[in-house]
Amino acid sequence: MAKQKMSKLAKSEEKLALKLLIPTFIILLVIALYPLGQVFYTSFTNRTFAGTGTTEFVGLANYQRLLKMTIKELPPVIDEQTGQQKIDEETGQPVFEHPIRVLPRRPNLYRPVYNFKLAGHKYVIGAITPDFIRAVINTIIFTVFSVLLETILGLGVALVVNSEFKGRGVMRAVMLVPWAVITVVSAKMWEWMFQPTRAGLFNMLLNKAGLGSGNFSFLTNPTLQMPAIIAVDVWKTTPFMALLLLAGLQLIPNELYEAAEVDGASKIRQFLTITLPLLKPSVAVALIFRTLDSLRVFDVFQVMLAQKRYSMASFNYFQLISAREMGMASAIGVIIFILIFIFAIIYMKSLGVDTE
Amino acid sequence: MKKYLALFLSLVFILSFATAGLAQDKAEITLAAGNVGKELQFAKEAAQTYMDEHPDVKVNVLTTPDLSNDRLGLYLQFLEAESPKVDVYQVDVIWPGDLAHHFLDLNKYGAKEVADQHFQEIVQNNTVDGKLVALPWFTDAGLLYYRKDLLEKYDREVPKTWQELTDTAKYIMEKEREAGNPDFYGYVWQGDAYEGLTCDALEWVFSNGGGAIVNNDKKVSINNEKAIAAIQMAADWIGDISPTGVTGMAEEDARKMFEAGNALFMRNWPYAYSTGNSETSQIKGKFDVAPLPAGDSGHSAATLGGWNLAVSKYSEHPQVAADFALFLAGPRMQKKRALMTSSNPTIKSLYDDQDILDAYPFMGNLYDVFTNTVARPSTPTAPKYNQVSEVFYQAVHSVLTGESDAETAVQYMELDLQDLLGYESGDPRQP
Amino acid sequence: MSREQQKIIKKILFYFVLAVIVVYLLFPFYWAVNSSLKSQAQLAMTPATLLPRDPDTGNISFFTRNYFAIFKNGQFLRGLFNSTIVATSTTILSLLVGSFAAFALGKLRFRGKAPSLYVILAMTMFPQVTVLSGLYAVINALNLSARFSMIFTYMLFTLPFTTWVLTSFFKDLPKEIMQSAQVDGATPFQTFYLILLPLTAPALVTTGLLAFIQAWNEYLFALTFTSIDVSARTVPVAIQYFSGEFARQEPFGEIMAAAVVVTIPIVILVLIFQKRIVAGLTAGAVKG
Repeated sequence: MAKQKMSKLAKSEEKLALKLLIPTFIILLVIALYPLGQVFYTSFTNRTFAGTGTTEFVGLANYQRLLKMTIKELPPVIDEQTGQQKIDEETGQPVFEHPIRVLPRRPNLYRPVYNFKLAGHKYVIGAITPDFIRAVINTIIFTVFSVLLETILGLGVALVVNSEFKGRGVMRAVMLVPWAVITVVSAKMWEWMFQPTRAGLFNMLLNKAGLGSGNFSFLTNPTLQMPAIIAVDVWKTTPFMALLLLAGLQLIPNELYEAAEVDGASKIRQFLTITLPLLKPSVAVALIFRTLDSLRVFDVFQVMLAQKRYSMASFNYFQLISAREMGMASAIGVIIFILIFIFAIIYMKSLGVDTE
Repeated sequence: MKKYLALFLSLVFILSFATAGLAQDKAEITLAAGNVGKELQFAKEAAQTYMDEHPDVKVNVLTTPDLSNDRLGLYLQFLEAESPKVDVYQVDVIWPGDLAHHFLDLNKYGAKEVADQHFQEIVQNNTVDGKLVALPWFTDAGLLYYRKDLLEKYDREVPKTWQELTDTAKYIMEKEREAGNPDFYGYVWQGDAYEGLTCDALEWVFSNGGGAIVNNDKKVSINNEKAIAAIQMAADWIGDISPTGVTGMAEEDARKMFEAGNALFMRNWPYAYSTGNSETSQIKGKFDVAPLPAGDSGHSAATLGGWNLAVSKYSEHPQVAADFALFLAGPRMQKKRALMTSSNPTIKSLYDDQDILDAYPFMGNLYDVFTNTVARPSTPTAPKYNQVSEVFYQAVHSVLTGESDAETAVQYMELDLQDLLGYESGDPRQP
Repeated sequence: MSREQQKIIKKILFYFVLAVIVVYLLFPFYWAVNSSLKSQAQLAMTPATLLPRDPDTGNISFFTRNYFAIFKNGQFLRGLFNSTIVATSTTILSLLVGSFAAFALGKLRFRGKAPSLYVILAMTMFPQVTVLSGLYAVINALNLSARFSMIFTYMLFTLPFTTWVLTSFFKDLPKEIMQSAQVDGATPFQTFYLILLPLTAPALVTTGLLAFIQAWNEYLFALTFTSIDVSARTVPVAIQYFSGEFARQEPFGEIMAAAVVVTIPIVILVLIFQKRIVAGLTAGAVKG
């Protein structure tokens, strides 16, 4: 009797669940089905955006062009007189063949991405679309650092704002200001602060502090580009993390802390044994959405670095709007999609958040 | 739950009718034009004049973003959808080649008779496979801006060659720095990795006899000594007469620095002449313009910019739209536009027009610049010009930032362009 | 050290940390305010000044014309209005629809839960620019007006977000609540909107605010969908359409002024709702 009742209950629950999910699925299907399907389909064709030529099915050619890489050894350049390897007179380093002569040119031209030395031999990694390979690396570095920093800072801000103090309400509003500034405009604002002359904030400050003569070029110097852009994103999205974590903190019953207090547990211990474990689901969701946005990062890269250094999405934009290679652009979209999916699953599994 | 579903579906249903238009008895056409202050005002007034003269036509003016990439993105969406919503497009001088098949051949609508009035370099640029796909509307070209007061103070001439420019800039920069302005530089230009660098670098290369990247006869001509020397020359400016940050500068960055009084020379488009003489400028009345210096070819070269009018193939009123485009590009409207917005006409005879010369005395001097322009190779490389340009400015940028040497960069560029376009190499075209 | 002293030191330390956080979060915004009160000549001054100063005399001088200019700009004011409508509608719809789905995914037992969650998330995994032309085709086919196109397409990113966040909150609510409600004879749906929903108020407000701001700031979709319908342009698009007197000239001061003005309504919104962020759940309420 009891068992039958349970299954009846379970059935009605299942029915209700389906009904509740229908609106979400209808909306998403109406908006997303065609565009997403089109992206998948187009990624296997050579379609041009607003082009006239006929579109042909090209299989995995777009993916190959984007991802194919090769490693070649650079042979040493032999001095004809001595029969020994040539030595560069200026640097004193042995000379190797130029990658341009070693990398394959047909059917596709390979360009060097990276040179390295191993046991006296020199090698070059080449790719058909080196810009995309670099874009993937840039985006992953960007994602790892900015998401990590945002989580730490966001957690810090959330804990501070969660404690009792005067002006807490105002603080909650202050906390959201960076997130509220329109993204495109905020990128422009930072670009102005990074000006390579003393008209820019940072050069002015550094110069006042006795560093440099006011001409650091943050956005053109390759070693400064990534730190600069990560700093901008961390500033912009720490509030997002902080607010989600703050809401998560609200779900932890005060009694748990009270009980721990009675047991004499220190604040740090309380944080490690109560706050962190119970915050895990909130952290997981926040991480997923931040990672998803970081892997698709567009505005800051487009405004601040443009063609100097691509993210996957800004390279995608270039492929679609400037090069009009819709097939390639779609393939990039699919690659980003797969990467995000992998990250999402890793988070869910490693943080032990069950979906059932 | 069914209630919500029904509600949602009926909402979609209602919405789908909400925007259905009503029938029009007038021929209605839309011009996609710029959004900038006086230019927009001009477009609206011109549309009104046309409507007054053609009562059976209604002309809408649609504003589009000033940022070139945003505008191109929008146009591509319209053209991909074969949308009849826009009839006349204001197109950049580098787009006609790439977008040619979406536009009508205006020679068939009466443009053939008037084409001679315009600068030939532009007409040639806008002609794709014998079809004139866009009418020249107003033009732009690279200019050398210089500080009159400082050249006088140190008794120097306006430089005629790149070498003179380098020497003068170095000399005055040192003097000005000694006099107490540590932020002063000799020469600012557009060195960021974007279309603007293609324009600047093409001027160095072409004036030095290194050709125009890809010849009109579809030969890749960039790998030559003159081109390498020209690019190397610019790389040597950096950290010397130009700030290291110049490799991140676009038009506005250079202009702001020049107008703040922190640069002796600047390469920029004609718009900076008007802004430099506005109230908030620190150098009002202290500067002038000249043709860019010459290189080994002995000629000066100014990259051709500017905007043109194209008529969409998907227009419902092609005849009316083409007539309106001809009207806008004709002498009467070009003169009005020049007077209102200080833009440069594409009709040669307007440079002798007394009204225009009275209003903008500098325009008379520009005539020589506009007859010495070099077009970017957008037509011979169509529909891949944007990729060609990217290969070019990325390679030049890598030399400017010191990541690569000029010779290697140019070798790779040649390979890349051959791979991209499938063209052979050839000798550079000379000015 | 006495307990009293310890307490004071802790307090000082706390306020120090707080001050650091405030400076970190607000200084760049202050720089926007500072820049918005400068003329172009003041902006280009070297070295840059922490307060707007006259380039010739070095005295403090505020340049207010940027603010007059944006308020004279009809497009900007209409943009504020459009953004409010679009962002509000998107947020309310996403919260409504998303909370239904989240209740099912967080509290009800049924097969295919994990796939449903991932399918919903998958909708938002493509970069915006990739799906843009497909969306544009859908909108043309449905013949949607510009404002409705934005409301619907923004759900592509707000709906998965609200669904996921709310799901994790529903899941955290103790099972006993539902069970005791069911014992009292409430249907699951009644349990949902009478008991569970009020308990998740902090989550609703939080996700609502974050989704609202996302929709408020969206640029690429808005630019494309309002390209023909000028009157539907939202604030980010209106700002991008700011122009100087001449082509190529970027009115940086006005853009900064607009950024400052546009941020204010959001700060007010947060001030109104902030109490709800933390007012929701107490241990007592859970036990009921």
